[in-house]
Amino acid sequence: MNRLDYLVLIATILAIPLYGLWRTRGSASLGQYLKGDTSIRWATIGLSVLATQAGPITFLSMPGQAYESGIGFIQNYFGQPLALIVVCAVFVPIYQRLKVYTAYQYLGERFDRKTRLLGAFLFLVQRGIAAGITIYAPAIVLSALLGWRLNLTIWLAGGLVVIYTVLGGTKVVSITQRYQMIVIFVGMAIAFAVAVYRLSPDLSFENTLSVAGKMGKLEAVSFSLDPHKRYTFWSGLIGGFFLALSYFGADQSQVQRYLAGGSLKESRLGLLFNAVVKVPLQFSILLLGAIVFMFYQFEKPPVYFNQPAYERALENGYAAPLSALQRQFDEVFAQKRAAIRTVSTGSSSERDAAMNKLRELDAQAHAVRDRTKAVLVQAGVDPKSKESDYVFITFILQQMPHGVVGLLIAVILCATMSATAAALNALGSTTAVDFYRPLIRPNASDHHYVVAAQALTAAWGLIAIGVASFASLVENLIEAGNILGSVFYGSILGLFLAAFFIRRVTGSAVFFAALFAQSLVFVLFATTNIGYLWYNFIGCAAVLIVAPILQHTVFRNAEASAVV
Amino acid sequence: MSTSDSKPNPRSWRKAYSLTLSLFAVEVVLLYLFTLRFS
Repeated sequence: MNRLDYLVLIATILAIPLYGLWRTRGSASLGQYLKGDTSIRWATIGLSVLATQAGPITFLSMPGQAYESGIGFIQNYFGQPLALIVVCAVFVPIYQRLKVYTAYQYLGERFDRKTRLLGAFLFLVQRGIAAGITIYAPAIVLSALLGWRLNLTIWLAGGLVVIYTVLGGTKVVSITQRYQMIVIFVGMAIAFAVAVYRLSPDLSFENTLSVAGKMGKLEAVSFSLDPHKRYTFWSGLIGGFFLALSYFGADQSQVQRYLAGGSLKESRLGLLFNAVVKVPLQFSILLLGAIVFMFYQFEKPPVYFNQPAYERALENGYAAPLSALQRQFDEVFAQKRAAIRTVSTGSSSERDAAMNKLRELDAQAHAVRDRTKAVLVQAGVDPKSKESDYVFITFILQQMPHGVVGLLIAVILCATMSATAAALNALGSTTAVDFYRPLIRPNASDHHYVVAAQALTAAWGLIAIGVASFASLVENLIEAGNILGSVFYGSILGLFLAAFFIRRVTGSAVFFAALFAQSLVFVLFATTNIGYLWYNFIGCAAVLIVAPILQHTVFRNAEASAVV
Repeated sequence: MSTSDSKPNPRSWRKAYSLTLSLFAVEVVLLYLFTLRFS
């Protein structure tokens, strides 16, 4: 990175929050602080919802995911459009009619206080940890590659978000997310264009895609019924539906986004916008990863993308085995390049033979990288983050022109800030509205609750930064958030679906059913190896099955309060 | 709620949901054709 990059980076990440704070200057009532005001339109809501879900992991890890395993991950989003329609038709009208600040207030109105607190508590635990991961994930990669200090990077990304979220509340979050999302769109479009431009002229773009497809990188849709296959149309449609329904219907960080503005029409349009654009957007990002993969078929990639870890291993006395592996890798790469040339220029039979050879060589290159990782583990520099998380950022730093590098680092930080701001805004609001106001100070002034919400948002900011500072990163950034969400979302969704659709059930039955469902998911998570998307379904189904059973047995005499 | 929400028209929203579902179906079909073409 040079001065121009730093200039673009600093100007981008500072200008948006400053503009947001200027737009939201002046005092706000509790309603305005927590829900924004009626000037927020569907486009802002739509971009805000999109930005909240995206996060830095989407832009950092997803191209690497496609580089490594292909674009099949897109199927995880197939349940989302259906879930968003259900949220528009069922959840949003109820939230808007009851004029709630948080989704969990509705549980209190429908059931009782303890069920409301349980829903809010499960959300706070899950989202509090997830906010820490959102800050930590890009910080560990950027600090490793740019030589920034890890804690400084965490405080830079986290501290700025805390300041503007505390000061401006929901409205500043919505406004900043809108412009951060525009920066992200522009940055990713430029990255896509440069990546295509940098592809080898030896192959046409169409032939490049054909080769990538034959190497297993472009299987977007698979109707396979094999339960061992990780991403299929069916698991994405069913598991993804329950994950998205929980996330958009019962996660306050999203509920607060689409309730901003206070209009049913604007909320619904913002969500339907997401239902239409989400799949093409994710496809573009995954396709970018596949294009980076093809770029590195002609341009030699590093044997191991996490270069700082590799260099530490060299310094620790492991130069000899690493050099041997490097020589093997160079040899395999030279053969791969020759095979690709044959694919582009040879006869039909030569092309088929070259493709088989290419696949074989790709497997050999994988094996060399696996052995390199084993040496790194031996050397005591075992990288905690997955190597594929370094693929796209390495491509940016080594192949993009100056200025664009700064813009793309800004894209990653903008994504971090927008997702973190939404999380902190929701965490502070939920703690203030669902815990502080009913349990600690029930009859204080409006201004008092605004100050309380600000203080609690700041406190959650510090907790998230604390989690980020002490986190030891899980294997795969891209999966971490989804796994964490899936463990908690099923029982939270079960609470809401029981509230909407099971009339003759009381708070106590649902409360204990949710505790049972959550315990069941914890046990399954600890003892089995089933796909994490299924936890959403299992947790939700457990609540919906156990609650009526408890109602007709243990809580038979309790009266159902069917306030739907 | 704003005044525009005082009488939401269920039929027009059903049309909006149908349109959204149709667009999603088109997206999946296009992705499947992409898979067939390049895999």
